[in-house]
Amino acid sequence: MWKNFKNGLIKENPVFGLYLGMCSTLAISSAIDSAIGMSLCVIIVLILSNCIISAMRKIIPDEIRIPVYIVIIASLVTIVEMLVHAFMPELYVSLGAFLSLIVVNCIILGRAEAFANKNGILASAIDGLGMGLGYTIAIVGLAIVREFLSTMGLVFHNPFDASQEIFKIAIPALEPYKISFFSTSVGAFLAFACFAALFAKLRSNSSKKEVK
Amino acid sequence: MKKILTLVLFLGIVSAISGLVLGYVNSVTEPLIQEAAIKAEKANLELMYPGADFTPVGDKYVDGSTILGIYEADGQGYIFKLWGKGYSSSGITILVGFDYDGTIQKLVPLEQQETNGFGAENFKDDAINSLYIGKTLDQDVDLRSGSTVTSKAMQGMIAAAKAVFPELG
Repeated sequence: MWKNFKNGLIKENPVFGLYLGMCSTLAISSAIDSAIGMSLCVIIVLILSNCIISAMRKIIPDEIRIPVYIVIIASLVTIVEMLVHAFMPELYVSLGAFLSLIVVNCIILGRAEAFANKNGILASAIDGLGMGLGYTIAIVGLAIVREFLSTMGLVFHNPFDASQEIFKIAIPALEPYKISFFSTSVGAFLAFACFAALFAKLRSNSSKKEVK
Repeated sequence: MKKILTLVLFLGIVSAISGLVLGYVNSVTEPLIQEAAIKAEKANLELMYPGADFTPVGDKYVDGSTILGIYEADGQGYIFKLWGKGYSSSGITILVGFDYDGTIQKLVPLEQQETNGFGAENFKDDAINSLYIGKTLDQDVDLRSGSTVTSKAMQGMIAAAKAVFPELG
């Protein structure tokens, strides 16, 4: 079970290992505020959808399993969306359409089909958490690099009250050297490619170890 | 045949349950969302009449395309939030404040990306004062030479507000 959890982090990292959910990763990773908010929403939806689908796996007729998954996932995402809209309005604005697009995020349907409909509830919840954290590592890692390079500082606001800063790093000495290009989509692709290479290296190292 | 019915029934039940849950969550969050929207709008309305009490009025005239909102500023008059298509693709959003007789008291551009030096001239203070402020319901709003497209959009927006104004109150 621990192995399932660890799998999602590096070896089968959903973004850099399986290349799922890249669209939101590229779009949302320009600032850590929205990256952390987005990954929280994805983790919640992923764990709940994995649990519900795993609990229902014996009664869902095989022919219509995908439509049933989609109804469950879409309902969960809509619930999360309404809650975010009500309690974290700033996050709701900064995520925009990508919040409702979690419905079509391949990570969630992919884990439902590949894992939750074959395994028990607890294992599915842990798989969901591992995959969700893998997504978090990817998107927050990218966001840290991109926000730092494009503003030469990092700011994280309290998601419930945007006027409150939880932490802030700014290096005024480096300010003139900021590369605002990294906040654009081209910068997203560049940073993404570097991360993907790094993860590929980590994966090949760990598989060499297994062979030995 | 029986098989198909079971499938339809199963999917129907799943959808019905999720519908119920969604309905419940919506009934909890909807008032909070409304409240937040009014709060955000209030920050804009405060630009017009600082410190006044604002209540949304005339919901049935709000069409979401030209008239985005109508508010009564207690003791001051009515505020219209209006949208119109000028030269830029995103259009123009303005707030127009009328007193209770229908005379334009204030006009604040919320969003506009009209061409600098042409359309954008419409939103400079002296242009706003000479073109719009003080116009009554019977007086037409003039076009401004050099920014015909923008001022036509302004004319259209203000005309829409004037058409609704007598129905309020």
